[in-house]
Amino acid sequence: MPRSIAQGAPGVTGIRSTALVALIIASAVVALVGASASLHAAGGKQVRYVGIHPVPKAEGSGICYIEGPHVHIFDADKLQYRDHRGASYFVGDPVAYGYDGPRYAYKGHHPIHVSAVIGDAEPDDEYCYLNGPHYHYFAPVEGPEFQLAGDAYFYVGEPPRVYVDARPAMMKINAVYQPLVYERPVITVDAPSGWIGARAEFAAPVVVVEPPRAAAVIAAPSVSVHAVVPAPSLHIGVGIGIGVGAGVVVHERPPAVIVRERPVIIEQRVRVKHGRGGRH
Amino acid sequence: MRGVRRRWPVRSLVLSAGLVVALAGCSKAGDGDKPAASPRDAVLEAWKSAKLTPSPLVPATVAFAKDCQSGTVEGIEVLLCSFPSPDEAKAAEDPGLTWVGAATGASQAHGRVLVAVADRKKADPSGRTINRLLKLAPN
Repeated sequence: MPRSIAQGAPGVTGIRSTALVALIIASAVVALVGASASLHAAGGKQVRYVGIHPVPKAEGSGICYIEGPHVHIFDADKLQYRDHRGASYFVGDPVAYGYDGPRYAYKGHHPIHVSAVIGDAEPDDEYCYLNGPHYHYFAPVEGPEFQLAGDAYFYVGEPPRVYVDARPAMMKINAVYQPLVYERPVITVDAPSGWIGARAEFAAPVVVVEPPRAAAVIAAPSVSVHAVVPAPSLHIGVGIGIGVGAGVVVHERPPAVIVRERPVIIEQRVRVKHGRGGRH
Repeated sequence: MRGVRRRWPVRSLVLSAGLVVALAGCSKAGDGDKPAASPRDAVLEAWKSAKLTPSPLVPATVAFAKDCQSGTVEGIEVLLCSFPSPDEAKAAEDPGLTWVGAATGASQAHGRVLVAVADRKKADPSGRTINRLLKLAPN
């Protein structure tokens, strides 16, 4: 008579039962911890916010459209929010969470002048680390640091040290947005000269492959690209970042030089080393 | 005597007319005895003008202000406190959050009025009504 998996082998049944009980207890503990955390979040601790922002799923999801300072009893995460004088300010893409108000398309990283957005007198420059096309509910402050091309804003200014220093940690925001399915802006124009996304020193870290034929495979939600760059006698690293509607790619590898291909939004980053590692 | 008798009525008429004018002026000024719209009333009027329907406000006792009234608008609790000066209203913003408590809400000074709102019944999950209440309140 065939033995079912649940029955197990003689002598093993007890062990499996014990394991099952342990698993159930562990699950219950996890559930209780989760519930406890949720209750704690809803237990009266006020969290200050300023500006519109997403509402966590546990709190009903969607968007909170309160533009001024306000409070909720749920926390803000560290990747999508920045502190603005004690209040959490959302720097992500609200459209990803169902925002249906006016929107402005951006491509790549850029500063956000928070005081200009929310209309207070507290100077505060934060940075958006979303790769590729995305939306915000505000247009940038007029000035030379942004250029509008194809109805999208490109940051062409000189990012400060604070942007560079925070980038490794804050780039992880792209992993948050990668699985989100929503209508991202479609930007087909060439980026203007000086765009931060085309500058080698600010290129996202990418794959590095040894010569003579350097290759990089990029994992996107539905796109995989294999690039081959012949580079005899040189040490070359190649990376390709593709901004395709369904998602964003985050690479955690050494930086490289960008070579752009048209018209598809593709970034190739090539690092060339001579002798003691000089970069070109 | 006739002349005198004629002059007196003229003088009386002039004086009377002056008195009437003066009294009329006083009477006109007296219309102002009806209290002018308070800053709190201005907030309520702004809400009503935007087709929001505040319930009748009732006196409310809070620790951070002496002249407060509370009610509801579209299911959201509101507290309107009048202060002698805008600075005092501004200083009451943080204490006003204690009134909000464990709910989505806000506490903002608009001129001499502190406007606090609390969505205790989760009547406004998107915050759109709260946003309107706060933006409509005049400064």
